[in-house]
Amino acid sequence: MDASLFFLLNMGYGVLTLALVALGLAVIFGLLGVMNMAHGEFIAMGAYSAYAAQSAGLPLFVSLPAAAVVTGAVGWLIEATVVRHLYERPFDTLLATWGISILLREGIKLLFGVDYKSVVEPVSGSTGVLGIDYPTYRIAVMAALLVCFFLLFLWYRKSHASARVRAMIANPELAAIVGINTERLASLAFAIGAASAGIAGAMLAPLVQIEPYMGINYLLQSFFVLVVGGLGSFQGLFIGSGVIGGVASTASAALGGSGGYVTLLLVSILFLWLKPEGLYAGR
Amino acid sequence: MRVADLSLPLLLAALVAVPFVFGNFTAYQVGLFLLYGIVAQGIALCWGRVGILPLGQALFFGLGAYLGGGALIRFEHSPILLYPALLGAVLVPAAVAGAIGLLVFRRNVGSGPYFSLITLALSMLAYQIALGADWLTGGYMGLNGIPPLPGTDPWSTLYWVILGALVLSTGVLLWITRSPLGQLLHAVSQNEDRLSFLGFDIARLKALAFAVSAALAGMAGALYAAQQGIVTPQVLAYVLSGELLIWTAVGGRASLIGPVAGAVLIGMLTSNLRDTFQYWEILLALLFLAIVLFAPTGLAGLVAPLLKRLPKRAHAVRDVERPLPDRGDPPTLSFEEVRVTIGSVRILQGLSLELKKRGLHCLIGPNGAGKTSAFNALMGRLPVSGGRITWGGRDITGLPAHKVARLGIGRKLQVPAIFHDMTVGAHLDIALWSGGISGWELLGQGAFRYRNEILGVLKEMFPFLNDEDKRAGDLSLGHRQVLEFALAVIARPEVVLLDEPCAGLSTQETADLIAAMRKIAGRFDISALIIEHDFSVVEELSDHIFVLHQGQTLSEGTLEAIRADHKVQAVYTGGTK
Amino acid sequence: MERRDFLKASLIASISAVTPRLALAQSDTLKLGFLFPKSGPAAIFGPSSETSIKLGVSQINAAGGILGRQIEAFTGDAGGAPSDTVQAAQRMWRSNGIVALIGQHDSASRAAVIGSIHGQIPYIFTALSEGGFCQPGLYALGETPQQQLGPVIPYLAKEKRASKWYLVGNDYDWPRKSNDIAKPMIKASGGNIVGEEYLPFSVNNFDTTLSKIRDSGADAVFITLVGSASVGFNRAYASFGLDKQALRLGTLIEENTLAGIGAENSKNLFSSVGYFDALDTPAALAFRTPYYKTFGKDAPVLNTASEGLYEGLLFVKAVFGKAGSTDPKAFAAAAEGASYQGPRGQVTMKGRFVNSNVYLATAEGAAFKIIESFQNVDPGTACTN
Repeated sequence: MDASLFFLLNMGYGVLTLALVALGLAVIFGLLGVMNMAHGEFIAMGAYSAYAAQSAGLPLFVSLPAAAVVTGAVGWLIEATVVRHLYERPFDTLLATWGISILLREGIKLLFGVDYKSVVEPVSGSTGVLGIDYPTYRIAVMAALLVCFFLLFLWYRKSHASARVRAMIANPELAAIVGINTERLASLAFAIGAASAGIAGAMLAPLVQIEPYMGINYLLQSFFVLVVGGLGSFQGLFIGSGVIGGVASTASAALGGSGGYVTLLLVSILFLWLKPEGLYAGR
Repeated sequence: MRVADLSLPLLLAALVAVPFVFGNFTAYQVGLFLLYGIVAQGIALCWGRVGILPLGQALFFGLGAYLGGGALIRFEHSPILLYPALLGAVLVPAAVAGAIGLLVFRRNVGSGPYFSLITLALSMLAYQIALGADWLTGGYMGLNGIPPLPGTDPWSTLYWVILGALVLSTGVLLWITRSPLGQLLHAVSQNEDRLSFLGFDIARLKALAFAVSAALAGMAGALYAAQQGIVTPQVLAYVLSGELLIWTAVGGRASLIGPVAGAVLIGMLTSNLRDTFQYWEILLALLFLAIVLFAPTGLAGLVAPLLKRLPKRAHAVRDVERPLPDRGDPPTLSFEEVRVTIGSVRILQGLSLELKKRGLHCLIGPNGAGKTSAFNALMGRLPVSGGRITWGGRDITGLPAHKVARLGIGRKLQVPAIFHDMTVGAHLDIALWSGGISGWELLGQGAFRYRNEILGVLKEMFPFLNDEDKRAGDLSLGHRQVLEFALAVIARPEVVLLDEPCAGLSTQETADLIAAMRKIAGRFDISALIIEHDFSVVEELSDHIFVLHQGQTLSEGTLEAIRADHKVQAVYTGGTK
Repeated sequence: MERRDFLKASLIASISAVTPRLALAQSDTLKLGFLFPKSGPAAIFGPSSETSIKLGVSQINAAGGILGRQIEAFTGDAGGAPSDTVQAAQRMWRSNGIVALIGQHDSASRAAVIGSIHGQIPYIFTALSEGGFCQPGLYALGETPQQQLGPVIPYLAKEKRASKWYLVGNDYDWPRKSNDIAKPMIKASGGNIVGEEYLPFSVNNFDTTLSKIRDSGADAVFITLVGSASVGFNRAYASFGLDKQALRLGTLIEENTLAGIGAENSKNLFSSVGYFDALDTPAALAFRTPYYKTFGKDAPVLNTASEGLYEGLLFVKAVFGKAGSTDPKAFAAAAEGASYQGPRGQVTMKGRFVNSNVYLATAEGAAFKIIESFQNVDPGTACTN
C-alpha cells in the first residue's frame, strides 16, 4: 500500500518535472519550429542562477524570477543575433543553437568553474502525505507545477495573446498582414521558452546535480517527450511526459537502469518512425 | 564540381608529401582525420546533395569499426577469410542504412527533422548496446588488441592505405555526382514533389544516398580499427557524430573534398589545441557559428569563387535520340464516388468523373470545389477515405505519386515546381530520363545527351529552352511555367494534369502556352485535364468541361452546354449553395 | 613563472610537431608526460591535477631533479574518447620525447594507451582500478577494491552493524568488479546482499532505485556510481530520508563530489580511499601545507585524483633513481620493491601494484573527517610477468 503510494507520488513528480523541463523546448520548437539544441543549457543557467542567488544570500524564491530574467534575456539576445536569420533554414538553426550551447556551457565553466555546485532545499525534511513521509520540497514543487500548468492551460485557451500566437503558428504571412507583429512575437516566444527553461532549472536545482554538462540529459528528455506527445499543444506536452515518465519508471523497474534507457530510446524511435506528429497533433 | 578538377590532384600531392615533410607521427594524425574526413564526405553527400541530414553517422562508422576490428582479430592469420570480412565491414553498414532509409522515407514525405532525429536516436541506442553487450563488443573497455592490417604498420605504411581509401571514396563520389544519378539526387533536395511526379522513387533515391554514405563510413571505421588497435563505444557516440557534423559544415557540405579539409584542419587543430589552450571549445564553437551564419557553404564555398575563374569544360551535345513511347487506346481515368475527408472537413464528397476520349478537358469550379484536391488524391498525395480511382480499369487508389506517374499520368503544379539551383538542361535531362532509364545509364558519365521529338517541338516554340546552362531559379515566372509544362509532357504521358498553367502569365505568354498545349497534345496524342479559372483560356482550349462544386461533379459537357446549365449558373452567380 | 615555462614548452611542442625534422640538440631536461581529463564531464579534477603536478615538479626540481636533470612536464587531455587520449600520449612520446607517462583517467583509456605504447616507455596508472591487468610496462598506484573494502567492510559491520547491503553502481567494469570483490567480504563479515543494481551514465532520476533500497530494508548501501550520477543519487537519497535508514559507503566519493552532494545531504556517508584533503598525518601535511601555501587558500581542493598524479611523480623519481637510468627495462627491474613516502604514507610496489594505507572518512558538514586508518593494506592483485 505504502509502496504503491510512493510509486504514484514518484511517478507524479517524474511526469510533472518532465513536463516542466520540456516546456521551454515545446514553446520554441512548437511555436517557431526551431530545434533549440541549447535548451539544456538554459536549464543549466537557471540552476546556476539559483546557486548564484544562494551565494549572494538571497532566498530561493527570489532565484526563480532571477533565473527567468537571466535566461529570458540571454534567449532574447540569441534570437535577435543568430536565430532570426536562420528561420528559413531549419537544419542550420539546429547547428547554430548547438554551437551556442557549447558557448553557453563554456561560459558557465568560466563564471562558475567546472566543479559541482550544491543548492540547499528551501524547505527540508518530509511531510506526511496520506500516511507516508514524502520530501517536502518535492511536494511543494509538484503543487506549484500543478497550479502553474493549470493557469497556463487556461491562458492558452482563453487569452488574446494566445490567439495571436496560434494565428502565427497557423499562417505567419497572414498573421503579419493582419497586423500581428510576427517578428516581435517570435522574439518573445524564444525569450519565454528560454525563461521557462531557466525557471525549470532554478526549481529543480536543490534536487539535482549541478555541473556544466548537466544540460545534455535534459535536452534528450525533452526531445523524447515532444516526439511522443506531439508539438503545439498542452495536451501533447502532458501526454508525452506521461508516456515517457511511465515508460521510464516501469521499464527501469523491470529491466534495470540500462534496460529502461534502451526502452526509452526504442519507444522514441518507433514514434519518430510511425507517428512523427506525436500522439496529440494540436497543429 | 568544376572546382574539384584542379584542386584534387594538388591536394593529393600535398597529402602524399606529408610523411616526408612532417614525419610519421604527423602522418598518423593526418591519417586519422582523413578517415573522419571520409565519413564527412558521406555526410556531405546526404546533406549537401540530397538534402537529408544524418545526425548519427557515427552509427555506421562505429559499426564498421567493430566489424573491421572483429575481423582483424578473428581472421588475423587467414587472409582468405579476412578480406571478405573486411568487405563486410563496408557492406553491412550500407545494408543497414539502406533498410533504415527505405523504412523511414517511405513513410515520411519531405525531409523533416524526423529522419535526422531517428538517426540520432539509433546511434544512441547502438552506443548503449555496445556499452552493455560485453560478450559482443567488449563493453565499456571495447575491442582490444586489434592487430594491424597485414603488411602495414599503423604508424607508417597504413597511411598509404588510408590515402588509397580517400582516393577511392572521392572517386566514387565524383562518379556519382557527374552521373544522371547525381543529378537525380540533387533534384531530390530541390523539389521532391516535382521529381516524384516525374516517376522517380524518392524514398529509394534517398535510401541509396544514405547507404553510400554508410558504406564510406563503414570503410573508414574498419581502417580506424586497424590504425588505432582498439575500438571503444565512443566510436558510436553522439559526440563523434556532432564533431563530424561540425567538420562537414565548416569544410563545406556541398563540396566533395571540403569535408575532408574540414576534418583535417579543424580536427587536427582541436586535437593539438586541447592540451594547451584552455578555451579551444569556445574557439571551435565561434568558428562553427560564424560558418553557419555567414558562410553556409563552408570553407570550400569560400574558395570556390576563386576557382570559378578557370576555363570551364564544354559539355557534350544532345545526340542520343530517345524514341517516344507507343500509343494505343487511351486508358480511361475514372473517379468513382471518391471521398476525401481531413479531420472534419469534407473536401471531396463523392466525386465521380470519367476521362474517356483523347483531348483537352477542363476542370472548373469555384474556390474550394476540390479541383486541386482531386489531382492530389489521384497522385496519392491526399488519403482517399471512400470510393476509388481507376486507370484503364485498374484500381490505383492510394498509389504513391511516383507509381502513378509511371503509369503515364503527368502533372504540372499551379506554382511552378522546378529545381531552382539546377540548369535548364538538367531539367530537360531529368524529364527525358523519366520515360525510363536503365541502371547502367544512371551511372554513366556525362549529361545533356538525350533528346526526343517533343523536346524538338518545344525548343522551336520556346527558344529560351536552348539556353541550357541557365539556372532555372533565374527564369521569369512565364518561362518557369513553360519549363514545368515541358517537364510534364516530354516523356509523352497518356494524360497530363495541368493546374492553372497560365496563372501569373501575361496575355502573350498565355497565348503562347495555349498554342503549345494544343499543338503538343494534338500532335503527340496526349490528353490533358486542365484546371482553369480564366474563361477565355477555357474557351480556347477545351473540348470537354467538368464543373466541380463542393467536392462533387456538378455538371459536364461542352462549353455551351455548361453555360446553359441552371445548376452551374446558380453556383457561379451566387444562387443556391 | 611556471605557467610561462609550461606554455613555452607546449608552444615548442606544437611547433615541432609540424615543422620538418631538423637535427635538434637534445636539451638536458628529463621529460615526463601527464594524462588527465581537461575537458568533458570528468574535467572536475583538471584544475587540482594541474596544480598538484606543478607543485611536485617544482619541489623535485628544487631538490635537484631526477638523475640530476630538471623535469620538464607535458600534459595531455584524457577527457575525450580513448582514441583522443592515445593521440595525446603518442604526441607527448613521439614529438616531445617523454621518458615516462603518468595517467589519471578511466580504464578504457588506460587499455587504449598501453595498447599503443606497448611498454616502450613506463606507463604509471594512478587512478583507482579494479586490478588484474598485467601488460608489461604498466604500473598501477591506485587503490583497488580489495584495499578500499577489505578492512572497511568488517569495520562497518562491527562498528555500525551493517549487515543488509544494497549495491548500486554505474554499468561498466569497475563497479561490477568492485561488487564481485565486495560480496564475499560482506558474507564473511556476517552480512548479506539485499539488492544489486547497475545504472547507465545518463540517468538523473533515481527514484526507482531509491524505492527499491527503501523496500529492501537495507542498512548499508555500497555506492560505485561515478561523477554527477553519484551527486544526484546521494542528494535524492538524503531527500527521501534514507540516510536515517542506511549508511552509505563509497569508494569514489571525493571532495568535489561531496561538495556537490551538499552538507545537508551527506549524513551517515562514508568514503574509503587512500587520500583526503583532510588527512593530517605528517606525510599528508608534507604535501598539503606547501600546496595551499603556494596556490592560496582558494586553490582547487586536493583529492585522491590529483594526489595520485603527485604520487606518480614521486614514484617515477624513486624508480628512476633506483634504476640509475631512464631505460624502460631498468625501470621494470627497479620498480619491483621500489618504495617511497607519499601523502598516503609509505608505499611499496609488488608485482606492479602497491601496498598503501587506506583511510575511512565520514562526511561532516561540507568536509571529510577521518575516523579510521588501515595501515599497509595489500592490493590483493599482483603481476607475475
